[in-house]
Amino acid sequence: MSLAKSTLEPSFARPPSAVAIVRAASYELDLGTLIFNSLREFDLHLWGKKVVLKPNFVEPDPDGVINTHPAVIAAARESFLRLGAASVQVAEGPGHERDTEAIVETLRLREHLGPLPGLFVDLNLDEVHRVPLATRASRLKELYLPQTVLEADFLVSLPKLKTHHWVGATLSLKNMFGIVPGCCYGWPKNILHWAGITRSILDINSTVRPDFAIVDGIVGMEGNGPIQGTAKASGVLILGPDPVAVDSTAARVMGLVPERIDYLAKAGTLLGHLQPDKIRQLGESIASVRTPFAVLPAFQKLLASA
Amino acid sequence: MLLQENGGRDDSPEAVTSGRFSDTSSRHFLLSSQNSDGGWGYHPAAPSSVEATAWASLALLARAADPSPAEACVRARVWLLGAQMPDGGWPAFPGQRQGCWATSLAALALHREGAAADAVVRGRDWLLAAWPADRHLGWRLRRLLARGTVVRQDNSLHGWSWTPGTASWVEPTAYALLFLRSLPAELLPPRAAQRVQLGERMLYDRMCPGGGWNSGNPQVYGVAGMPRVGPTAWALLALLPHSQRAENQMSLDWLARACPGIRGAASLALARRCLRAYGRPIGPLVPNFGDLYLRNRFFESVLTFAWVALAGSGEGNRAGQTGRDKATS
Repeated sequence: MSLAKSTLEPSFARPPSAVAIVRAASYELDLGTLIFNSLREFDLHLWGKKVVLKPNFVEPDPDGVINTHPAVIAAARESFLRLGAASVQVAEGPGHERDTEAIVETLRLREHLGPLPGLFVDLNLDEVHRVPLATRASRLKELYLPQTVLEADFLVSLPKLKTHHWVGATLSLKNMFGIVPGCCYGWPKNILHWAGITRSILDINSTVRPDFAIVDGIVGMEGNGPIQGTAKASGVLILGPDPVAVDSTAARVMGLVPERIDYLAKAGTLLGHLQPDKIRQLGESIASVRTPFAVLPAFQKLLASA
Repeated sequence: MLLQENGGRDDSPEAVTSGRFSDTSSRHFLLSSQNSDGGWGYHPAAPSSVEATAWASLALLARAADPSPAEACVRARVWLLGAQMPDGGWPAFPGQRQGCWATSLAALALHREGAAADAVVRGRDWLLAAWPADRHLGWRLRRLLARGTVVRQDNSLHGWSWTPGTASWVEPTAYALLFLRSLPAELLPPRAAQRVQLGERMLYDRMCPGGGWNSGNPQVYGVAGMPRVGPTAWALLALLPHSQRAENQMSLDWLARACPGIRGAASLALARRCLRAYGRPIGPLVPNFGDLYLRNRFFESVLTFAWVALAGSGEGNRAGQTGRDKATS
């Protein structure tokens, strides 16, 4: 289970984390080979394991800017199978749209993955179990969470590289909001907003810790994200086993200062590494792929240039 | 082969796309997927949930004159009664500690079933006492100070929330209005009329600038929210007594324009149900339910099958039609 596999240890007590940056100029490339070769740089033990990929689906988007691109999902699935996973499911609980089928069909997920029943799980309608939260950052104390996630041996957060109009940026940690089931909390999962977005991000990620993160930054979203921003071609995939390190690297690629993003700064004390000297960079350097994202006026303070 | 397993029906591509896929097939799925405890889960064999049980019941009640649906609805009634909390609300799943939006749906299903008046009244009372957290003055002041220019909405208007302690949203408000309007006048105290009126005003306030609704954010950072099919259909059904208002007509126009682009069976069912309730012509559906069924078999979602059944029968609009009758009488 992804749930509470080990006790949390403060970030200062952890060894450095590796994060890979892979150039990928378009979704037409052989992403399967790119991701597989990058995954081999990490010491992953996946033989016989049940892997669950958790992309970011928000609402139907014919333009392909809002949601994790299906080519990345398919490539990740293929790669984890090649690494010996017994099964690789795709699971998501969109936050705004009840008709998940409308999202995956607009996304053309079926064309990339094949028949979806049995392979894709709508986490909003999954069987749920009550789970005490590992931390008390928010007042939530417990959440009902979906069985598919709780039974996963290896959970992968697969977000899109986007700005976010409430918290600055949405990456692999914020993406975990999607595991909170709509069948218990509604559409949107407003209980998380009332409990505080930053605090909820911390509680969810301390309780159900993603084992790996792959950020789809081939085309991201800048400005008024996560829905109404504009496409931003960044041409990168960012991946690693420490979601905080992956997200802070992604933020730096976006031209943001991760220490100024509230939830990332706090996550950097307990859930992973934020500081560059604790992140071992693989592949491309941040400087070589940096693509400054436009942000709303309320988030100008996050910019490295501010 | 879902429909073959469930009684030897033919769900071959030819049969489905030739139009033989129908609301009858959906009801057959619902009958065969009822749990032994009398409820329905969101999928066959999943633990029974209040929402899935309510919608499956409502879909089957449209054919309650037939023996099998009638028996299934009685078993569902017993399950729903057992799931009601002492305070009159219903949780999403039995064992959870708080009532939620599912209260409207459970009470609506029981009222339509017609044999649990006391439970319906207790559900009504729970809903009338359930105010969203955005009603609190402290929150409204904080909102004004923190995001006064971010979100365009009138925070003095309140509907219903998904879960206790959270804000008003379009869909739970629409569900509550549909239930309350389904009740006869003798079951509606004056405070119910006030709540209904306030909920209606909240829905109109949350309409997107060009018509239609999303979950409840009509404008953020000065940018018009994008409407979506499901919330638009629910809001329009809840506002059916005001069918001639310009907002309703503008939103119906948006919904009609959106129909050809719908890619999910649930959205298509809700759109069809809504357009039918307003007497709008429904052209050939592209894609149609048969096409969509062949793609993903509706992901075996009990909700989707129930909504498809209601869309096909036209019976699902009774709550809204009752409201329109009241409004015009």
